[in-house]
Amino acid sequence: MAGRGLTKVLPLRTAVSTSAGLASAAINFLAVVDVAVNVGGRSAWLAIMVAGVLILMAASNFSELNGLFPSAASIRVWARRGLNDQVSLVASLVYATTVVFVIAADGFVLGHVFHAAVGGVPGILWVVLILAATAAINLRGIKIAGVVQDSNAFFLLGTLVLISLIAIWRGPQLDIGPLFHFGSHWFEGVALGVFIFVGFEWVSPLAEEFHDARAIPRGMYIALGLIAIAFGLFALALTDIVPHPSQLATSLIPQLIVGRTALGALGFWWMALITLTTAMTTFNGGLVTASRFVYALARERSLPSAWARLNARLVPSSALLGLATVALGLCVLVYVTGEYEVLINAGAGVESLMYALTSVLVFSLRRREPHRKRPFHAFWYPVVPGFVALIFLGLAVGALTTPVGTGNTPWALVFVGGLTVAATIYVVFGLPKKRRQEVLARSAKTVSADPP
Amino acid sequence: MGLTATLQGFAEKCNQHERLRVMNRDWTRNVRVLAEDVGQDYWIRSVAGELSAGEGELSEDADMEIRADQRVLEAVFSGEMTPTEPYNQGDLMVRGNQDDLFRLDVITLMIWGE
Repeated sequence: MAGRGLTKVLPLRTAVSTSAGLASAAINFLAVVDVAVNVGGRSAWLAIMVAGVLILMAASNFSELNGLFPSAASIRVWARRGLNDQVSLVASLVYATTVVFVIAADGFVLGHVFHAAVGGVPGILWVVLILAATAAINLRGIKIAGVVQDSNAFFLLGTLVLISLIAIWRGPQLDIGPLFHFGSHWFEGVALGVFIFVGFEWVSPLAEEFHDARAIPRGMYIALGLIAIAFGLFALALTDIVPHPSQLATSLIPQLIVGRTALGALGFWWMALITLTTAMTTFNGGLVTASRFVYALARERSLPSAWARLNARLVPSSALLGLATVALGLCVLVYVTGEYEVLINAGAGVESLMYALTSVLVFSLRRREPHRKRPFHAFWYPVVPGFVALIFLGLAVGALTTPVGTGNTPWALVFVGGLTVAATIYVVFGLPKKRRQEVLARSAKTVSADPP
Repeated sequence: MGLTATLQGFAEKCNQHERLRVMNRDWTRNVRVLAEDVGQDYWIRSVAGELSAGEGELSEDADMEIRADQRVLEAVFSGEMTPTEPYNQGDLMVRGNQDDLFRLDVITLMIWGE
């Protein structure tokens, strides 16, 4: 009988762990504190749940687009089909750089956690060591990196649930009333809560490794549910231990505080280990995804061909090392300046813009390719995609225009705006010139190779 | 030239390439190639780096599946275009392991250059 199936396809578990692992960054612990400060304390868990519902709506856009074009090039393909080549390329370049922001911001948190835990060693040294180790693992092939990624997410989420439950049990008596108290900045809290989930969609480039097109949507939804439960419980534990979270507003180690309350020194070190694995997940997942994305752009001649080099293990080594170096440079910069919030806001802003863009693409592709097979449809089209576009556009504006540091300058907007302008100039002016030169070089080569 | 001949030419070029034979000696895979517009199945088989190709369905499960219109498949497997171009346009869809996808990309790169 003729074979029709595929061997070596990924299980649903991998879709869940990849999605949950990439969303679970070390900066999420600080985001929980920010949510709690804004909502005025104990209803932080509820704000996180509501944020989860908003993200679920955005996930339904990704599900439809993934089903339409299950490709590792994800947003590059969707935007090219739904809009045009130039917009797609600018969006792809800016989106790829977001990975570097998140790695750098996570590195900053990791460095501070380990400096708090092991006082004698400078925090930045930990970041250099771990980033270098992650890059080295990645250079040896995707399999080891995949094992790290697969196990990390469940370890992290399981630990968060366990430690949080113990902290709640050991903490002061839980008063039910404040759990549903809506403070004056409750909606700002929900907006901040959304950023705990961002990155869940980075599982999209794995779409072609699943035989069942529904694995990615299912994986994303399960992952979002697990993240909501784990970080919701963490928020509950944190606000139970510290009823006035503004006391923690400048802390970079809230997870260590919860860990110590739950299990003393063991809990403290356990949470330090969790921070390490969380940062590794971010470094690892970010480098795996972004390096292959950069490789693909270089292979279609949209980026310099040097970025398309593969090592003997078929790893895009130039792209990987380049991205790791840029991330390390940014990390050192924020470590020296302490302005890590610029990167968080920039990353959150770009991610929100991408979620809004997916709505535009859902509308556009339904019009342009109405008969193409859609294994999954976005929820309640056109209402939910329209709502997602408005909500996430608003969140992007909020994240990018929030002043950070001294003065009133929205540095995240300056940063992302500068990047977008640079990418646009490259795509509109630099790339056509580069392509013309390549065509001329190829013609010259062909002419000189022709026999007289 | 039809797609069968193109695929067989591709396999022959691989087999004649000394570096590719060394590189692919641990690569044993069945690749299903589907020309979607005409609904015709083709296959490429690698046994320890020795490639063969033909028309029709595979007799066993595939490790990788490549789908596109016939003209795109002909262009890719004859070296007229890199696989990445139609891939990034959504005109060439692949299912399977990313390592295998990279391997096929490298094969085309080594045979025809950038």
